[in-house]
Amino acid sequence: MKGTYLGELEELVLLTVGILFPDAYSVAVMDEIEKQAGRSLNISAVHAVLTRLEEKGFLKSTMSEPTEERGGRRKRIFLLTAAGKRALEEANELRTQLFKQIPKIAFQFKLI
Amino acid sequence: MNRVPPRWADQFLKWYCSPELLEEIQGDVYELFNRTAVEFPRKARWLFIWNVFRFFRWKNIRKIKSDHTDSIFHPAMLKNILIVSIRNFVRYPGQSFITTAGLTAGFTSAFLILLWISHEFSYDKFHPQKEQLYKVVSHVNANGAVQTYELAGNNLDVASVPEIESITRISSGNRWPHELCFRPDEKPAECLYFNGVYANETLFSNFNFPILQGDPNPLGKPAQLAISQKMAAALYGTENPIGRVLKIDNTHEVTVSAVFRDVPVNSSIQFDFALPFDILKKQWGINDQMLTEQFFNIYLKTQVPVDVRTLNEKLNQLPVISAEYQTQNIRYEAFALTDLRLYNKFENGQATGGRIDYIMLFSIIGILVLAMAVINFINLSTARASLRAKEIGIRKVTGAFRGGLIAQFMGEAFVLVLIAFLVSAIFVQLVLPFFNTLIGEPLTVSLLNTRMIFFMAIGLILIASLAGFYPALVISSFQPATILKGQLPTSITGSQQLRKALMVIQLSVSVGIILFGSILYRQLAYIADVNLGFDRSNTLRLEPTHRLHLSYEAFRNELLSNPLIKAVGASDSNPLETGGGTSEINWPGKSPDTRVSFKLIGCYHDFPETIGLQLVSGSFFRPERQTNDSVAIELLITKKAAASMGMTNPIGEKLTLGTAVGEIIGIVDDFHTSSLHTVMDPVILYRKNIYNTSAIYIRYEAGMARQAQEAINTAYKKFEPSVTMKYWFQDDTFQQLYKTETLASRLVFIFSIIAMVITFIGVTGLATFNVMRKTKEIALRRVFGASVVQILMMLFNDFLGILMITLGIALPFAWYAARQWLDGFAYHTELPWLNFVAVISATAGLILLIIWIQGRSILAANPTEKLRSE
Repeated sequence: MKGTYLGELEELVLLTVGILFPDAYSVAVMDEIEKQAGRSLNISAVHAVLTRLEEKGFLKSTMSEPTEERGGRRKRIFLLTAAGKRALEEANELRTQLFKQIPKIAFQFKLI
Repeated sequence: MNRVPPRWADQFLKWYCSPELLEEIQGDVYELFNRTAVEFPRKARWLFIWNVFRFFRWKNIRKIKSDHTDSIFHPAMLKNILIVSIRNFVRYPGQSFITTAGLTAGFTSAFLILLWISHEFSYDKFHPQKEQLYKVVSHVNANGAVQTYELAGNNLDVASVPEIESITRISSGNRWPHELCFRPDEKPAECLYFNGVYANETLFSNFNFPILQGDPNPLGKPAQLAISQKMAAALYGTENPIGRVLKIDNTHEVTVSAVFRDVPVNSSIQFDFALPFDILKKQWGINDQMLTEQFFNIYLKTQVPVDVRTLNEKLNQLPVISAEYQTQNIRYEAFALTDLRLYNKFENGQATGGRIDYIMLFSIIGILVLAMAVINFINLSTARASLRAKEIGIRKVTGAFRGGLIAQFMGEAFVLVLIAFLVSAIFVQLVLPFFNTLIGEPLTVSLLNTRMIFFMAIGLILIASLAGFYPALVISSFQPATILKGQLPTSITGSQQLRKALMVIQLSVSVGIILFGSILYRQLAYIADVNLGFDRSNTLRLEPTHRLHLSYEAFRNELLSNPLIKAVGASDSNPLETGGGTSEINWPGKSPDTRVSFKLIGCYHDFPETIGLQLVSGSFFRPERQTNDSVAIELLITKKAAASMGMTNPIGEKLTLGTAVGEIIGIVDDFHTSSLHTVMDPVILYRKNIYNTSAIYIRYEAGMARQAQEAINTAYKKFEPSVTMKYWFQDDTFQQLYKTETLASRLVFIFSIIAMVITFIGVTGLATFNVMRKTKEIALRRVFGASVVQILMMLFNDFLGILMITLGIALPFAWYAARQWLDGFAYHTELPWLNFVAVISATAGLILLIIWIQGRSILAANPTEKLRSE
C-alpha cells in the first residue's frame, strides 16, 4: 500500500466524493469539480485518481445498477472509508493549524 | 445524425483495456459521448476518441500473464543464468579470453574492410545529380591494339545531342601549368605550390563544389580565380581573399573572385584552384584553334538518366566527333562518373575491372576472416560445453525445458559476441589513423554514421545467432542420465566430424590467404629488384623554371664540380612513366599497313648517360650543339625499335617523326618505359633543346641522398633564388607506380596475420579438447610404455587428415588466384613453390607445437593419477 500522503488533486477528489454521497462516480466527480472549483479535468485523470485513492484505502467502491445513459453499463460508485475521512480531517486540521500560526503582521500588506 | 461513437476507437478500447476495468471505463466514455452528442455530434466523436486515448495508461492496459511461471524469463532464473555465465567466464579466463579475442580480431578486420570498401564506393557520389554525370573516354585504335585514355578531344561538339544538358571541360595535370607557385602575402619570398584545374564555367554548376564566398560563377569571366578554403587560409590567413590580385607565373594578373569548399577526398576531380581557359591559352601561348585541338577531361551532364548505348552512338557521329579523329580510329565512350573510379582498367576498349577487383578480393577476404572467427567461436563453444555438461545435466534434471536451455546458451553467445563487437568497434577507432596512413588517404566513412550502425546491428544479430545456434543446439541435446554418470555426451563426440570439417574450412582459408599474400610479396620484391634497363636509384628529379633553363649549363657545371654528384641530364618525359606512344614514325621501306606504337623521349644530350642506358652500338648524343635545324635530329633507338622497323644495321638510317627528320646514331638496350604491367615498347630518344625539357635528372653518390639534396638545393638557389625547388626521388616515383599493389600486399599481410591468429586460436581450442578427451587413453598408453613422441604423433594424427584436406583445397585456390593476379603483369616472378612448401611445413610445425604445449601437463603427470580419477 502506498503512503497515506494526500496530494492536492487527491484531496479535492476525496472531498467531492464526500459531497456527492451516495452517487459519487467518475463522471459526476468530474462535473462537480468543474462546477465547484472551476477546474476542467479529463475523465481519465479523475479515474486514475479515484483508483489510486481506492488503493490507498481512502475510498471503497461498489457497482451500481445498469443505467441507460451508459449504454446499459454499470457505474462504479465510490464511498468514503473511515481512513478517508480521517485523512481529510488530518489534512484540514494541519491546514488550519498552519494557517493560524502565520503572524498577523504578515497579512498587513499595506505596510510593505 | 450520427449517435454512435467511432467503432474503431471502441474496438481499440476493448482491445487494450484490462477486463475488470473495461465496464466502468467504457461506461464513462459512452456517458460523456451521449451527453455531448445531443448538441454537438461531431465534437462528441472527437471527445470519444480523445478519451479513449487518454485512458490508454499503464494501469488500464490488459496485462499478459504467462502460462508457466517457471519459464526461463522468470527474474530469478535470469539472475541465476547470468551468475552462472559470469562464473564460467571467470573460472576459465584464458578460454573465455581466447574465444572473444578470435571474434574481436575477425570483427576488426571485417570492420576495416567494410570501411575501406564503403570509402571506395563513396567516390563521386556526393554530386546531387550523379546519375546524370558521365566522363568521356577515348579508345584509340593503333594497329589493332586499342589504348584507352580518360581524356577526350576538346572539340567534342555536343550541340546536336539533345540529351546532353551541358558539358564540362577540365584540364588537369600534375605539373606546370596545373601546379603553380603562389606567394603568401606576408612571405613573398616563399613559394607555395598548389594544384589546380583550368575549366569552363559549368565546373561549379554541374558538380557539387559549393562556393562559399564571392562570385557564384567565377569561371564566367576571364582573369578570375577561384580558390579552395585551404588555399585561402594558406595565402591570406583570416583576411578576406575576395578581390585580391595574384600573378600567375609572375605575369598574368588574376583576381580572386570566389572561395569554394575544399574538394572532398572522395572526389576523382581534385583541385585547389580553378582558372578559366583564357589563362591556359596565355600560359601555353596558343590560340582558340589550338585549344580545341587539345585533349582534356570531358564530363557530360545529361538531361535525365539516359540510355548510354544511344548516347555513345551519338558521340561517335559527325559532327560530335571531328572527322579528323574519326579517321584516326578514335572512339568515344561515355562512362558513368560514379563507376569510373572502380572500373578504371581497359583492355582493347573494354572496361575490364580495375579497383573493383581489389574490392572484390578484400570483400572475400573479409568475409572469409569473419567466417573463420565465427567457426572458431562455434568450435570453441561446443568444446567448452563439455566442461559444463554437469551443469546442463542438473538443469535438465531439475526440469529445465530444452527451449530454455537453448535460450540460455544463445544468450551467453550473444553476450560474448556483443563484447567482441564493442571491443573491436573501439579498436577500429583506435587503429583508424594507422590504417589511413597505410592506405594513403583518410577514409571518409565513419563507423559511427547511422547507416553503418544499422548494418552493423543487423550483422551483429546475424552473427550472434549463427555463432550461438549450433552450440546451443548441441548443448541442450545432452542426455542428463549419461552426463551425470560422468560420460561425455554422444552429441559432443558425435559433433567431432562437424568440428573437423569446420577446422578444414578455417585452415584452408588462412593457409590460402597466407600463400596468396606471400606471392604478392614475391612479386613486389621482384618489381623492386627488376632491372628496368636504366638506373632509377640515387636519382633526384627536379622541375626547372625558365630561368634555370637559361643558365642550365652553368647549373650543370656547378653541380658536377661537387664530388657527390655523378651526372646531370634533362629530358621531356620521365622514363619511369612515359606517356602515350605514337605511330607517326616513318622509315625507309615501311609497309603502308604497319602501325607500330613507339614511345618518344625528347632529351638533352646528357640524358641517356645520366640515367645509365646501355649503349649497344653507335654512340650517345654528342655534346656539341646542333645549331642548324636542317641537319637531321640525332636519334637513339632501342634494340626492340630496331627490330620492329626491321633494320639490321640501323645506324645512319633516317626516320621521319611526324614532320621532322632524324638520323639514328646509336642503339641502346631495351628499357621499361612504364609499369611492369605492360610489355616493353620500342623507344626512340631524340635530341631536344634544353628549353623544351621538363625535368632535370641528377644522379648522386649512393647513400648520400641528404647531402646531395642539400648541395643541389644550394646550387639551385644560386641560379633560381625566387622559387622553392620542386624535386622528387626517382625511387619514390617508382613506388608510386605500384601504389595499388603495395597497398594490397600490406592489407593482405595484415589480414593474413589476423587469419593466422584466429587459426592459432582454433587449433589450440581443438587440440585442448582432444587432449582432454583422450586423457585416459594417453595415460593407458603411457602405462604400456608409449614414448612422449609416439603420443604426440597419436594426437597429431587427428590433425593430419585435416591438414591433408586443407592443402587439397587451399593450394589450388591460392595457385589460381595468384596466377590470375600475376597475369596482370607482363613481367612477373614465377610461382614460388618454395613458398608453398614453407607455408605448409610451418603450419604442420605450428600444430605440433600447439599439441605439445597443450599435452605437456598430461604427458608430464603420473599416468596412474589420471587413471585413478574414476
